[in-house]
Amino acid sequence: MAGIRFEHVEKTYDNGVTVIPDLNLEIKDKEFVVLVGPSGCGKSTTLRMIAGLESISDGELYIGDRVVNDVAPKNRDIAMVFQSYALYPHMTVYKNMAFALELRKTPKDVIDKKVREAAKILELEPYLDRKPKALSGGQRQRVALGRAMVRDPQVFLLDEPLSNLDAKLRTEMRSQISSLHQRLQTTFVYVTHDQTEAMTMGDRICVMKDGIIQQFDTPQELYNNPANMFVAGFIGSPQMNFMSAKVEKAGSGYLLIADTAKVPVSDEKFASYVGKEVVLGVRPEDLHIEENALAKAGDAVLNAHIDLDEMMGSEIYLYFNIQGSKMIARIPSKYQVRLGDDVKLAIDTDKIHVFDKDTEEIIYQ
Amino acid sequence: MRQKNENAHPIFTLFVHLVLIFLAFLCLFFFYILLINSTRNHFDIQKGFSFLPGTSFVSNFKKVMADANIPVLSGIKNSLIVSSASAILATYFSALTAYGLYAYDFKLKKPAFVFIMLILAMPTQVSALGFVRLVDRMHMMNTLWPLFLPSIAAPAVFYFMYSYIQSSLPMELVEAARMDGCGEFMTFNRIVLPIMKPAMAVQAIFSFVGAWNNYFIPALVISDNNKKTLPILIAALRSADFLKFDMGKVYMLITIAIIPIIIVYLLLSRYIVDGVTLGGVKE
Amino acid sequence: MKGSTKRKSVSYAKWGYIFILPFFAAFLIFQMIPLASTIYYSFFEYYRSGLNIIGPNFVGLENYKALLGSDFTKYMGNTLILWIIGFLPQIFFSLLLAAWFTDLRLKIRGKQFFKVVIYMPNLIMASAFSMLFFALFSDNGPVNAFLISAGLIDKPFRFLSTVVGARGLVGLMNFLMWFGNTTILLMAAIMGINPALFEAAELDGCNHTQIFFKITLPNIRPILVYVLITSMIGGLQMFDVPQILTNGKGTPNRTVTTIIMFLNNHLYSKNYGMAGSISVILFIICAVLCIGVYFSLNGDDSKPKKKKKKAARAAKA
Repeated sequence: MAGIRFEHVEKTYDNGVTVIPDLNLEIKDKEFVVLVGPSGCGKSTTLRMIAGLESISDGELYIGDRVVNDVAPKNRDIAMVFQSYALYPHMTVYKNMAFALELRKTPKDVIDKKVREAAKILELEPYLDRKPKALSGGQRQRVALGRAMVRDPQVFLLDEPLSNLDAKLRTEMRSQISSLHQRLQTTFVYVTHDQTEAMTMGDRICVMKDGIIQQFDTPQELYNNPANMFVAGFIGSPQMNFMSAKVEKAGSGYLLIADTAKVPVSDEKFASYVGKEVVLGVRPEDLHIEENALAKAGDAVLNAHIDLDEMMGSEIYLYFNIQGSKMIARIPSKYQVRLGDDVKLAIDTDKIHVFDKDTEEIIYQ
Repeated sequence: MRQKNENAHPIFTLFVHLVLIFLAFLCLFFFYILLINSTRNHFDIQKGFSFLPGTSFVSNFKKVMADANIPVLSGIKNSLIVSSASAILATYFSALTAYGLYAYDFKLKKPAFVFIMLILAMPTQVSALGFVRLVDRMHMMNTLWPLFLPSIAAPAVFYFMYSYIQSSLPMELVEAARMDGCGEFMTFNRIVLPIMKPAMAVQAIFSFVGAWNNYFIPALVISDNNKKTLPILIAALRSADFLKFDMGKVYMLITIAIIPIIIVYLLLSRYIVDGVTLGGVKE
Repeated sequence: MKGSTKRKSVSYAKWGYIFILPFFAAFLIFQMIPLASTIYYSFFEYYRSGLNIIGPNFVGLENYKALLGSDFTKYMGNTLILWIIGFLPQIFFSLLLAAWFTDLRLKIRGKQFFKVVIYMPNLIMASAFSMLFFALFSDNGPVNAFLISAGLIDKPFRFLSTVVGARGLVGLMNFLMWFGNTTILLMAAIMGINPALFEAAELDGCNHTQIFFKITLPNIRPILVYVLITSMIGGLQMFDVPQILTNGKGTPNRTVTTIIMFLNNHLYSKNYGMAGSISVILFIICAVLCIGVYFSLNGDDSKPKKKKKKAARAAKA
């Protein structure tokens, strides 16, 4: 068991492209950390550097107390589950799982015990003699997990392991991987581009963009207190609404004026923004259509002309435009709002996020 | 392929079949006479043409075997050694080279690939002069070594392997092997080679046949009777005084040189015919 | 701090070199060095006269001049003619068969049988094949016997003593040995064309002949170029068949002596200077053709290759 620490790690490819300029990241022992971000953000590269599949251009990478920059993958005591599963097509399920142990000269009876144990946990016992070709996607996925499990590695790496599965199976495997983490009590590093996977599985989530860590925190914190517009927009579905707002001094406090809505705030951080524009962020569930909310909100109300309504069952998603920005509101489905309707939506002033227009960093929330 | 319900005109279909039968006849007829004549003795053959086999197959065979001037047995042995060694070397090292150029990133990767592609179709004959002199200086004249060692560098086999590896070996498999604890050579031998098996088999057959049939270079390198391969023996037969020759023996020797290949081909024809284009030229 | 401790990292580049080393070492030893010495000797007077070795004396381009004054051009012409005699029917029948085999309107019985049979001669030992032809087509061989007994001719036709007969036989053998291979290559190329193209053409009102000439042919052009060039290189290498058929003499009157037979004679008589100059000329022609092969396989521009790579990547994912 071990933690992982990146100290000023840089990754530049031979063609001169720097994908990770200066990475500092500490993953604790036994933690389940999810690296998430859009494609090309460097999350896979980061994972592959931990694995030793990608060389490190500069800086140090520690696994436990050991610097592993120049340690070959096989000597790092880590296991990895690949996106395509990477099962050896010419070996049976049993052989696939036993291969790594055989290479380490583990006694035959120990191998057998471990493989059967893993197969039992993953419900693969009936398939041990099959070749990967004869398995379904979900079964292959479990073999890939089993192959990593039998090795009792210090660190478990997973690279988009669920992206090749259909939606239903994905949900199932999500909980299976989470319970696997509980059972194994080892460090998990999980890469995905899917924020739902990140939110549901990670103890902590590392949101990355352009090779730079945007925020590294618990799912709760990321959702409630995003560090910048990128994180705010990336975490949460449907994503946070952004509209530009003007800051005005009003009595002892300040007013954010976005279209028809006037949102009062009383933080002195706004003193330097008076007369300037900021970005006001409101999550779709923080826009309310209920009478009492409207009454409470005062002037913090948007006039929305509905362009599209999507019935989701218990909720309706309303799509509309504010000053050219696309907005979404989630309202209880008992309210019969249709395309073309004009409605008033109250902004929950306790739950707003305000960002600097240039730096996109958070000012207030 | 065209998905069409309507069928071609029956007369046209008949015409197509007639052309195909004619071509198949051309391909088979000569081998049929060869087989027939290998079963007839010299005098029967001289008498004229026959569609029916004779009874001298065994005696022809014995006569060929007994002829001290045409050492058939050592010829078969030499041909087998050269062809097998060529097949093994060409497939193993081409796969190794293809894997090296596919799986690793290094400065000379692109130039190396372009270079092999440029010499893909370069005939060995153009350097035959230098080759023979080199073999001479290495004291390998009249040995079988120079007939199969060059197979280590077989550009056409490489190209086939490279195309195959591109389509059937995801890099993640290699990485998985590394994580599992394989060294680079072990990854190649235990993971990559088994996956390459179909391509290896096809190319082994082609390389074997190519070496089995090769005449130009062996004829320049080999002059000792007991080192000769089958094609040289056949050429020797041609340059002997033909009229004095027992024709039954001639046909028998040709049969010995050709028929094993035909039998192997018929057994594996499906793989071979598909293999011609398997990894090779696709558009 | 950053940059202060440069560490060695896990790099696999060296393995790439190690893995391709045997290939390039073997190529260097058995091809490059021989080629260099071949080129070198082409500038020397160096031959055996009786038991004496003359040379090597540097003579500049004398060998090349002597070559052009010799029968070299005649042998080049022979090689070209022999190649064409084989290639024309080869490409004609290959295109025809490939089109038929891939046409689903045609219900060809025993398709697999025909494919297997027409490919077979390609694997036959050329020297044995031509020995067989020599035996079959000799003046008192089975073919003449058959023709006479069938009453088609009354005295043996001397195939090997007439220019038409000897050249025709070489052409026929080359045709038989290669048309199956070409058919299969072309078939694969035709089957690789997007079927929607044919359907679109049909909707546009093309008949089947028009489809063949306007859709199929242009789309398999790269393969046709590949077939043409590799066949030309193969033609230049032509040796086993005419050598065995005519016992190396190129009879009648050296009309089937190919360029490699010419080279072979010089190698046998150990005239290294002349052999060298023939080789160099061959090398230059083949080098040009090889560049053609390279482009036929890699596309005229970088576009097709990128597509291929993308497809390969997509297939991997």
